[in-house]
Amino acid sequence: MKKGDLPLLITVIIITVFGLIMIYSASSIWSMYKFNNQYHFVIQQAFFFVIGLGLIFILKKIDYHIYYKYANLIILICAVFLVLVLIPGIGSIRNGSRSWFGIGSFGIQPSEFAKIGLIIYTAKYLANNNRLMKNIVKGVLPILGVIGFFFLLIMLEPDFGTAMVIVLTLVVLIFISGVQISFFLKIGLVGLLGIIGIIIAAPYRMKRIVSFLNPWSDPLGSGYQILQSLYAIGPGGLLGQGFLHSRQKYFYLPEPQTDFIFSIISEELGFLGVLIVTSLFIIIFYRGISIALKTNDLFGKYLAFGLSFGLIIQASLNLMVVVGLIPVTGVTLPFLSYGGSSLLVSMASIGILLNISKNN
Amino acid sequence: MFFNDIHIRIRFIFLVMIIILLLVIGKVFYIQFFSYNKLSQITEDLWSRKMTINAPRGDIVDRNGNVLATSVVTTTIYVVPSQIKDKEKVSKDIAAILNCDYNDVYKYVSKNSSMEIIRKGMDLPSDIATQIDNLGYDGVYLVVDSKRYYPYGDSLAHIIGFVGSDNQGLSGLELTYDEYLKGINGELKYYSDGKGNKLEVPDSYVAPSKGMTLELTLDIELIKALDNELKNAMDKYNSNAALGIVMNPKTGEILAMGSKPSFDPVNYQNFSEEIINRNLPIWMTFEPGSTFKIITLASSIEEEVVDIFKDTYTDTGSVNVDGSTLHCWKHGGHGTQTYLEVAENSCNPGFVSLGNKLGVDKLMGYIEKFGFGKKTGIDLNGEGNGILFKKENMGPVELATTAFGQGISVTPIQQITAVSAAINGGNLLTPYVVHSIIDDSSKSIIFENKPIIKREVISKETSTMVRFVLESVVANGTGKNAYIENYRVGGKTGTAQKVSNGKYLVGNYILSFIGFLPASDPEVIVYIAVDNPKGVTQYGGTISAPIARNIMLSAIETLGIEEKSGGMLKEYSYLDVKYLIVPDVVGMSKEDATKALKDFQVKYSGNGDKVVYMSPKADTFQSVDTTINLLLN
Repeated sequence: MKKGDLPLLITVIIITVFGLIMIYSASSIWSMYKFNNQYHFVIQQAFFFVIGLGLIFILKKIDYHIYYKYANLIILICAVFLVLVLIPGIGSIRNGSRSWFGIGSFGIQPSEFAKIGLIIYTAKYLANNNRLMKNIVKGVLPILGVIGFFFLLIMLEPDFGTAMVIVLTLVVLIFISGVQISFFLKIGLVGLLGIIGIIIAAPYRMKRIVSFLNPWSDPLGSGYQILQSLYAIGPGGLLGQGFLHSRQKYFYLPEPQTDFIFSIISEELGFLGVLIVTSLFIIIFYRGISIALKTNDLFGKYLAFGLSFGLIIQASLNLMVVVGLIPVTGVTLPFLSYGGSSLLVSMASIGILLNISKNN
Repeated sequence: MFFNDIHIRIRFIFLVMIIILLLVIGKVFYIQFFSYNKLSQITEDLWSRKMTINAPRGDIVDRNGNVLATSVVTTTIYVVPSQIKDKEKVSKDIAAILNCDYNDVYKYVSKNSSMEIIRKGMDLPSDIATQIDNLGYDGVYLVVDSKRYYPYGDSLAHIIGFVGSDNQGLSGLELTYDEYLKGINGELKYYSDGKGNKLEVPDSYVAPSKGMTLELTLDIELIKALDNELKNAMDKYNSNAALGIVMNPKTGEILAMGSKPSFDPVNYQNFSEEIINRNLPIWMTFEPGSTFKIITLASSIEEEVVDIFKDTYTDTGSVNVDGSTLHCWKHGGHGTQTYLEVAENSCNPGFVSLGNKLGVDKLMGYIEKFGFGKKTGIDLNGEGNGILFKKENMGPVELATTAFGQGISVTPIQQITAVSAAINGGNLLTPYVVHSIIDDSSKSIIFENKPIIKREVISKETSTMVRFVLESVVANGTGKNAYIENYRVGGKTGTAQKVSNGKYLVGNYILSFIGFLPASDPEVIVYIAVDNPKGVTQYGGTISAPIARNIMLSAIETLGIEEKSGGMLKEYSYLDVKYLIVPDVVGMSKEDATKALKDFQVKYSGNGDKVVYMSPKADTFQSVDTTINLLLN
């Protein structure tokens, strides 16, 4: 029995500790303002980091085949929680979405956990129906139906960001399982026509797109966040303003420790910081992909790829939002953004990955 | 192998994700290295709050460096409401120090804005400023400001103009040269967070730099003398207006210019726009009257249509032109006169004959060459054009009246510039008031005005002749009241009836005089006009000539113009015999001296036979009534 992928574990610990440091820098001002304690956010995150480390070591020891066995139960539990969270009084609203279970000052986001649940379920489905996947109606449409159901549940909260991450991850997972490329082209075409139809039906959506392309057209409204993000990134230059020396965190950039922590990293550590962060993500993804490639068990292969891709696609979506490549979607940056559920789910993914690598 | 297809697709996805991350890096690179300057500028503005520190305006000085307009230091109090924590206490303390109402201060302190001015441009005594400073409150700023001060008030208001509440030039030179005078504002910049609180980042201070100095051609002593005379003319005669220009006829430099009514440049809001906007010496247009005859005369001499010494004209008191009867100002006429005497007497029918000798084309040609009908181009705002007859519309009557200065309309600045050309050797100049612009910080001259000769209108010889005639007018003719002993004054009076709605007003004249000295080589020319003086003989020689004389006396003193004596006897031969040159008798015996001074009264003092000292000095021009004091030894 092998020890698991040590470089992956080390990289994850490095990026998370780096995240803690940057959360401290980014959040201290807001933290002081809201809680009169500049360490409030970083202490909470550190707490989740410790739990996350424990989780990694536990999951690393649990044979991943157990998920295969309980996949249906897992997804059922996820569905129940996703329905429960929609019920006022049980789910609580934060930032405009009813997507949380509040427990004291902590919050748990069931959609984050559903992400892993759905990856497990889809991996199992694909492994079981490997031959069926050539058949669109019998093989692909059922699993797309399940995905669509969960997408709708999450969109009811609404949490567009997480829903996007889940759909993209699962669709790519189906893609690598060997479904004809022509099918994806068709889906893409339908999607494109759908988008055009939606825009024709409601021309105000065009304005949203324009406001994304030119945030200066509405600097205090829809363009505000992205402009504030660019104001942080721009003056960073090669080496940045220096650690702790961000200006945008002084109430200019809203909640700089969560979705826009990358802006603060660019501002304080400059282009160099950006290169380091993206490199760490590439290493993590690369290690995850390697595990998938090395695994001979089809379920393990799909699971490893799904978990790795889930992390990298979330990171990419976040980075593209922050630098203004796509409109604001509301996705956190794995390992770096403040947020307990997000960190725990990300670290859990790593724990499972490490177990898969151990079984190779 | 079974996994082959899956592995290819996994590697493909890996590649896609790498490309996406490279796109992200590329975008960051673009933002940080290509949009860097733009974004840095925006964020600098976003993060900082600026308080402008107004630069003191540059001084305006006269030709000798006397300050005509300057800036005095004042203090402005700013508050940044978001930085003030205890608004009640701060308001209370400031109100107590400023001795004003608490609510008045609280209003500003509690306002939801980034910056408020509590008091602008106050003459804040330094001890009060120190008291406020000592409070040491965050968000309360004292900033140096400045206020315009005009030491000579209304006497220069039309030329210099005035500034608005933000020290921006609004009229006159303050407006025209605002770019140079205003200086570069400084700023006090502090950094704040998104909620407006001050950050612990050092404030940055950029000192303002004072505006440039505008040096004028004016002489404050002459300005004061002129202002004084104009005030008198207004008070004494209850005139509608009075104006004057003093100029160097050889360069076009304006030495003094003034008019009444005027206004207080600090409280300009209290005056009508008409008074403020009308700089009479360059704006007002009116019939020049007889002063215009200088132009007709100069043109006639230049064209050689007349020999002023030999040719004669017989004035019967009126002349019939094309059915209209034009009268001479002297009832019954001047009889037979040489044209020199025609000029001395300012005889209208005589000038009509000169006009006829010249004809429309030549006369109008000269009038235009002398600059009438067009702006002179003086570097002041609000100049008038004047009105001339159109050549093609001119019949004999128009020609006749133009020749003696009626029916056309000119500005005082046109008149003085044209006469300058007639007496300075024939060159028409562009008059100007700005001598130079000096950048005090680098001690360099940014701009310097030089005399500009527009064109040569008449020859040197003609000009000499015109000077001779005008000197004779003062010595023997209508300009006697401007005569100054030992200085050769030339000049011409003007009495113009005012026109309203196409009709001449009865008993309503503009009385003018234009004079210069020394006639041999003019250094200063003075133009005076008084609009509708009351209770006096309305005649230029009685009202404006004495004023011009006083101004010329001031000019002699101020400019240090030397007496012109010696070899003048001949030129004064046409003068009244009462004036003679005093011969030098120092060193002579008492008997010889008495003989030499036979035309004067003589008073001796001391014992002896030899003259050791005489007063007045020899070679000066004295009337025969003068007593010559001789000291004998």
